[in-house]
Amino acid sequence: MNLQELSAADKKFQKELNAGVTELVLLGVLSRATEPMYGYQIAKLIDEGRDNEPIIKLGTLYPVLRSLERSGLLESRVEPSVAGPPRRYYKITESGRRALKRWAEIWCLTRAFVDARLEED
Amino acid sequence: MIKSIEEYLRQLKAELAGCDRATIQDALSDAEEYLRNTLAARPDLAEADALLPVIEKYGTPDEIAAAYREIESRVPATLAPARNPAGKSLASRFFGVFAEPRAWGALFFLLFFSLFSGIIYFTWAVIGISLSLGWMVLIIGLPFMGLFVLSVQGIALIEGRVVEALLGIRMPRRSIFPGKRLGWWGRFKALISQKHTWLSIAYMILKLPLGIIYFVVFIVLISLSLFGIALPILELGFDIQPLVINNIPYYTPVWLMPLTVIAGVLLIILVMHLAKVLGRMQGALAKALLVRY
Repeated sequence: MNLQELSAADKKFQKELNAGVTELVLLGVLSRATEPMYGYQIAKLIDEGRDNEPIIKLGTLYPVLRSLERSGLLESRVEPSVAGPPRRYYKITESGRRALKRWAEIWCLTRAFVDARLEED
Repeated sequence: MIKSIEEYLRQLKAELAGCDRATIQDALSDAEEYLRNTLAARPDLAEADALLPVIEKYGTPDEIAAAYREIESRVPATLAPARNPAGKSLASRFFGVFAEPRAWGALFFLLFFSLFSGIIYFTWAVIGISLSLGWMVLIIGLPFMGLFVLSVQGIALIEGRVVEALLGIRMPRRSIFPGKRLGWWGRFKALISQKHTWLSIAYMILKLPLGIIYFVVFIVLISLSLFGIALPILELGFDIQPLVINNIPYYTPVWLMPLTVIAGVLLIILVMHLAKVLGRMQGALAKALLVRY
């Protein structure tokens, strides 16, 4: 494989890894937020202090936010804003917190499992 | 190499070709919100220079389009689309209409909501247009028109949410991003010149006659079918004469009574199917007139 193919393969691998991670990260961010946040705020917070290419493309956060709301893990309300269109503010729900707790455990188990396999040699 | 936000949005739209129009509108307004907000924080850089790292972070149009396609395919519309009735017999599909949330949603939309909202939309559209034109010579004319047109956008969004909830047609879930920081006058001109605004007003006006038609059709059909079903009880139980001509009461022959009951039941089933079909048509109309892209 040449360099270009390698980086394409890297991207594909990262994308597939991200499928569930994005949801976990969003739930984590919103569970620690003291007040409801809107899309751009969340994207900025996740991106803060990172200069290199982001692990999660920020554009993929928006549709995931909505799909989390659909499944009842987040709730949202729309508020008018001074500049621009009304914003949708997201807040984590009780079932969202429960899911986060379970998913964080699954994440820890997965990470330990993967780390153990990688450290073997 | 993408040089402007407009170009990014154009490419994103092209990448999303073939997707649901409401999905496209949502994806474009998400991207526009992020890009504009981020660029607004770096006013010192030229748009083309500032944009490159921002897109690197947000994702290129093809990456974003792929993400929306993938996630949309997992998120069903509010009421799951009617399951493919393959494997179900024709009879169970015909009689099973009462178990379909879609049919009930459509019936509620057509029978109650359409007329009610139609009156409000129609009144507001007519008031808005005539006052806008009438006040044009006064200083309050243009501001009023601006507010009216803004309210039309809000109504289009709300109506879309109701259509999606009751009729199960995917509609935009976010408001439209107003675009560049244009200032009041620029935004006003943009709103006025958008085809979407005028189509939304057309929808608001159309909703009243349609609402009246739906209301009348469904009230008449439902009354007829209830009459058919209740006829034996009314005549035999309460001695109510269904027909009186020149003071001579006419009764239904007894052999006909089971038939009126059967006809009433069949009619109410047909009403539910009609609601489903008309609901789909109304949804298609809403989609054609209320969705921008």
